Order: sequence, then structure tokens, then C-alpha cells
Amino acid sequence: MRQTRQPMRRTAARGPARPAGELRGSPQLRLRIGFLVIAMVLSVFVGRLVQLQGLDPASYASMAAAEGLEEIVLPAERGDILDRNGEPLAESVDGLMVVADPALTADDAPELARFLANRLDVDYFTILPRLRAEDSRFQYIARSVPAALATSVVSKARALGYDGLVTERDPVREYPAGDVAANLVGFVGTPRKNGTTKPLAGFERTFDDLLDGVDGEARYSVAAGNRVPLGENTTVPAVDGEDLRTTLDRDLQFYSQRVLRQAVRDSGGESGSVVVLDSRTGDVLTLADYPTFDANHPLESDEADLGSRAVSDVYEPGSVEKVLTVAGLVDAGKVTARTRLTVPGVLQREGDNPISDWFDHGTIRLTLAGVIAQSSNIGTVMATEKYDDGELRSYLDAFGLGRTTGTGIRGESAGILPDESIWSDALQDRIAFGQSVSVNALQMAAAVNTIANGGVRIDPSVVLGSATTDSGQQVGTDHATERRVISEDAARQTTHMMERVVDPEVGVAPGAAVPGYRVAGKTGTAQRASSECQCYDGSYTVSFAGFAPADDPRFTIYVVVQNPTNGGGGGSVGGPAFSKIMGYALRRYAVPPTGTDPSRLPVEW
Amino acid sequence: MSSTARAIQTRLPRLAEAAVERARLTVVPRGRTRAAKVPFVTLLSLLMLGGVVGLLLFNTSMQQSAFAATELQDRATVLTARQASLSMQLERLRDPQNVARRAQAQGLVLPAAPQFLDLSDGTVTGTTDAALAPGTLALDPPPAPLPAELRPPAPTQAPPEGTLPGDRDRSGDRDGSGDGDRSGDRDRDRSGGREGSDAGDRSGDRAGARDGSGREGQQDQTGDDTGEDAPRGNRDGDAGGGRNVQ
Repeated sequence: MRQTRQPMRRTAARGPARPAGELRGSPQLRLRIGFLVIAMVLSVFVGRLVQLQGLDPASYASMAAAEGLEEIVLPAERGDILDRNGEPLAESVDGLMVVADPALTADDAPELARFLANRLDVDYFTILPRLRAEDSRFQYIARSVPAALATSVVSKARALGYDGLVTERDPVREYPAGDVAANLVGFVGTPRKNGTTKPLAGFERTFDDLLDGVDGEARYSVAAGNRVPLGENTTVPAVDGEDLRTTLDRDLQFYSQRVLRQAVRDSGGESGSVVVLDSRTGDVLTLADYPTFDANHPLESDEADLGSRAVSDVYEPGSVEKVLTVAGLVDAGKVTARTRLTVPGVLQREGDNPISDWFDHGTIRLTLAGVIAQSSNIGTVMATEKYDDGELRSYLDAFGLGRTTGTGIRGESAGILPDESIWSDALQDRIAFGQSVSVNALQMAAAVNTIANGGVRIDPSVVLGSATTDSGQQVGTDHATERRVISEDAARQTTHMMERVVDPEVGVAPGAAVPGYRVAGKTGTAQRASSECQCYDGSYTVSFAGFAPADDPRFTIYVVVQNPTNGGGGGSVGGPAFSKIMGYALRRYAVPPTGTDPSRLPVEW
Repeated sequence: MSSTARAIQTRLPRLAEAAVERARLTVVPRGRTRAAKVPFVTLLSLLMLGGVVGLLLFNTSMQQSAFAATELQDRATVLTARQASLSMQLERLRDPQNVARRAQAQGLVLPAAPQFLDLSDGTVTGTTDAALAPGTLALDPPPAPLPAELRPPAPTQAPPEGTLPGDRDRSGDRDGSGDGDRSGDRDRDRSGGREGSDAGDRSGDRAGARDGSGREGQQDQTGDDTGEDAPRGNRDGDAGGGRNVQ
């Protein structure tokens, strides 16, 4: 542009030859020179404009935007995990990490380390080398500190003249009840670098999609630490995670865990589980395991205790299974509670080992109710003979054995209900009293609850409403299905037989009785199969399953203790624990005694 | 320009020249604009001045409220954090374990059975058993046994008068091994902390593995059952101790 104009200037200057004085005064010339200057300046502007807009507009735009523009992440709060009454089992608190810049802290390291060790939960000797680290500008001092504490400590440090401490986002996950329901709720790990939660186990992991929120973002122009009014200001609000409401009852869960711990320790057992179901809805009110862990400090516990044994451990249920066998028989119309059986001392069956009872006896005459009350293996096997081919298996299948309960608890084992192809008479005899069949505690509790609920099996559930697991499965009370397994009459007869178990005169588990209430139950003492020697290793699984009030059941409770070493059985180890938990549940939910007389079915004839 | 005007003039017929001249004289009356200028300029100046001052004031107040907003925002953040930590404290106090411990400390005991009063007819149902003995519910696990290195050492016998030459060496060894142990512990702690976050994954996997192995073992065992000689059966009830299956 400049070059095109230059010839014109020359012609203008050379045009009419005039004296120097006149030349300055010529308006035309002045105009032309002025125009030229303006054009030159404008052309510089145009060149700059092309450079900014034409060559790389995006990078210049972002540079301009970054100047004085602050972007902050609006952290989304992780949803809480609540019990059925809204009490928190896991909740999130705003948290910060305290980070040091050793380049600034190295000089005052010992004083600063002492200051921090006094105020934060950190060790003097751990942080001292970090405050002095060379070639580093970033050292963690404390992670997941509640925001109020972290900001006050850092501002106090600054006031005392210690520079180089900053805070960054680091969410805190708090389990206010510690080990209560930790086996189900699970725990989270140290937050990731970007400040998001890392779920590791239990519901935290299974329902992470539900609990996890979406972080928001705010962008605004800043000058001298203040927002510029009418400056750029966009906010994308954070979407908080949703709460997960479980069917658990925190207080009942707590009480059950303490009673279970005592029962396991007193009996010298290895581990144990308690399941409490609401008989009418199948809601899991309690699923306790021992040993368990403190969700606030999961790493202090044995790794084997971090899951839920009640669903992951399978074992042979033993005599508790007899009530399923008998309930099926009554439903099929083969027997009644008063069916008379002549029970020999030892039963020798073709192709199998001799079957004996837990107590020595000669030939005795028991009714079916007596078989249950005294937990006679021989009597059960004799009654089982009345089953048609495959009938027992289809009943057990309908009771839910051999299939996972689908509650959404991690690591559930389905247990083993032998396949039809290997089903034999000898196998059926053993299964009739609870051997050669494996269950998990929740499965067995749901099966016994079928009898409590008038013969209708309800899927147990741990989530109130509905939730989707990480494997895409819909779980919760909304998805629990019901299925009639035995008739109402069969369920009532079985209940009456089970009531005789806790009778102080004829039953084997008077310790399971709850004063003032009618209780139906059944003990179980099973030999434990060891996968190492592939045999029964001489240890036992003792259990007690039952429900109350017997004529209008509200709760079904199943207590299992593995490998007690004090020689106790299902009645003496599981029974008292059952009684305590049932008594507490009935009190807690204000269930009055029904006021009717307990079953007086004859046990002998 | 003037030349064209002249040309038009020459071309036009000079008809009604006087009228044309009169008309030209009256087109622009002089002095009228001068009279209106002063108030108009004053008005404009006032408007401009008012606008500028108003804008300045508005801007200042905006700045002022921006400061206030920032300060309030900071206060809100601090208060939110405080509220969160207070509610955390509250939840810790409401922890059933804590409540139960305090109740036991005050001498409260668990009832054995409740009684019910029916308001409609005034009947009382339920048994009147004595409450369970205090401490029926053990709230805390018994303390774990001390790790070996913290247990008080077994009483050692004082060596007889005079020391044998070997004794000093032995004591030196003991010190050395003690140091070794301690440093080993520290290493273990540190690695535990670092890898801790993976524990959950591992436990999940392990549950699956346990399931698989359990099943395998038990199926095998059912296959073997018929070959076994021992009599089988379940043991039940209280007294089952020794006389179970045999």
C-alpha cells in the first residue's frame, strides 16, 4: 500500500515547481500528506488485524480469556448411604489436602512440622523430610482433612509467618458408625489426583454411578481478588450424587453385630453371620458379619474381613434344612405334623453309610413334630422316602437354594444344589437333613422366611426403592418378586412343628425362646466340608433360624457361627444370640405378644 | 460550481424576478437559532455531566458490592465447612456405639421383655421379667494380645557372680537384631500405606476366587462320599459335644 502511494507522492512533489514558502501553504499538498500518514497508520492496524484474526485467532482468544479469568471447579457432593430411617451409614464432608512447597518451607521446617503435627493428624517425623525435600515444589502433608480444619490451620500458619502451605480439594468420606454395616457399605480409597472419589468395596463401589455426582464449573473475571462486576461470568452448577437408601436398620444392625461378636468369641468360633429379615417384605434389616472392619480405617483389618461372609461364604446348613424338607412334604400332602414314625437307633441305607442321630437312642416313636423338635436325622430321612422322584429338588429350588439372591451385595456365591443328573436316593437322604447341599446365610434366611410368610417366598432386598448396580442389574424393594412355594396350611403346620424346638421340655433349643412371645425356630449343627482334604474336617457350623411371633411373624432371624471350639451346638451357641436379637427387634418395633397359646403338638406316640 | 449556476441563470427566463428574489430572502430567518442555543447546550452538558457522574457512582457501588460479595462468599465457605464438621461431630456422637456406651456408663440395662398397654381397653400384656444383668451387651472387643515385641520379657535369671566371656557377645547380638526388626516394621508400614488403595479390588477378586474353590472342593467331596467309611449325621442340641456321629 505504501509502495503504491509513493509514486503519487513523487509526482505530487515534483508537479508544478513552486517556491518553498508556497509549498508549505498548499492545501492540496497538506491534505495529501495527511491522508498518506493516516493511510500508513491504518495499514499498520490492518496488518495487525490480519495477524490476530487471520493467522491464529484461537490461541490469542484463549490468551485474552486467561488474562484475569478465573476458572474454579464446583465440587459435586457424593451421595450419602442411609439406613431405612435416614440415619447415615456413609456421608461426605468437604475436605481439603494440605500441600507444602518445600522451596518455601525448608527454612522453618522443624518449627512448621511441630506446628502441623500439633494441629493435624500427622506425624512429625513423617512430614519433616517432606518439608525439606529438595528439587520438589509439591509435597503432601495431610490428605482428606475436613475443610474447616485445613483452612484454619493454613491461615494460622500464614499468620505466624510460615509460607508455602496451600490447600487443594480432597473429599472426605466419613462413616459415622464405624464398623456398623461396614461389611455392606464398603469403603473408598484415597481420592484420585483430580479430587474425585475412588470407591473400592461394597455399596460404595456397586452403586458408584448413583452416588457419584457431576462436578460443576464457574468462570469469572477477576481483578485484585474480586470478581469484576458485569465481567464474564458463567456457572455450570454441580450435580450432587444421589443418596442410596438401604433397608438396613442401623441400631438393629449395631445390636446384632455386638451380640454376634459376643456369641462368636464366647464359643471360640472362627466367624459368624446374622441375618434379620422383615418377614412380610423381605427387607434385610440386618446383615452382620464377624470379624468385620472399621470403614474409617479399612486397612487396619485383615483383608479377608473386608467383604460380607454372609453372602460370600457357602457352607452346609445342616438341620435347619430339615424344615424345608418337611414343609415340602406337608405341602405335597404326604405327611402331617402328627404323622407317626418308628425311629431306629441307626439307619442303614443301601449304598450309603449308616445314618445316626446326635443323641443315642434305641427305637423310639416320634411324630413328625417330634422329629423336628429333637432334630432327628433318621426320622427326617424316613419321612423323605415319601417324596416322589425329583420332588424334593424342585421344592428346594423353589425355596431359592442354589441360586443367588440378587440383592446387589458384592461377591455373592450361589451355593450348590446338586444337579438332577447326579441326584440319587443316597444323596437325597443326606440333603434331607442338610448335607451335600451348600448355601449362603442370606439364601437360607430367605428360605426359612418363606415359611414365616405363609408359604410365599419374597426375594430379600437391601436397597429401599430401586438402584442399578455396576453390572447393570436393577435391584431393590421395587424389584423383589413373590412366589408361592408351599400352601398356607403347610406353612402353618411347619411353624407349629418349629415351635416345639424352643419348648423347654421337648425341644433342643430352649435358649432361643423370647419371654412372652411365641417363637418358631430350628437349630442346625453341620459338619464342615474342607476343600483341602475334601472331607469333613471335624469342625462344625452351628446355626439357628427362626421367626416370631409364631402366629403372626414379623422378623426372621438366622444366626450362623463357624467352627465353635467350645463344643456348643446350634441350640446353645445360636439360640441365645437369636433370642437376644429377636427380643430387641420386637421391642424396637413395638410388636406386642399375640397372646395366644403356643403349639402343643405331640412329639411322641 | 459557480459556472454551472451561471449557466442555469442564463438559460432560465427572467420571469417574475421580483417574486423570486423575495422568496429567496425569506428562506433562512437569521437570529432564531442563536436564541435557542444556550439552554440546549446547557441541557446537553447537564445530561452528559449527570450521565458521567451517575455512571461513575454506579460503577463505584458495583465495585463496592463486588468486594462485599467476595467477602460474603468467603464467609459462606468458611461457615459451610464449619457446619459440615459440626454435623460430622454430631453424627459421631449419635453413633449407636457411643450412645450405648454412655447409656451403660449411666447404669442403664437392657429390658428382658417389654410390656404393652392397650389404650382402648386398658389391658396390660407382656411378662414382667427382670431386666438383663448389666453389661449383658459387650460393646468393645477384648483388647487384642500385645505384639510379641511389646510383651514384658519373661523374667530372666540374673547371671551368677561374674560374667562369662560369651555373655557380652550375646547381648550385642540381641541389640543388633532388635534394630533390624524395627526397620523392617517401618518398611512394611510404608508399603502398606502405598498399596492400601488396592486392597478393595483384591478383596473383591478374592471373594470370587473363594466361591470357585469352595464349589470345586465340595463337588469333589460329594463324589467321594460313598467311599467313606465313617458314619454320617448331624449333631444337634446342646449336649452334642463328644457323642455326635459315632
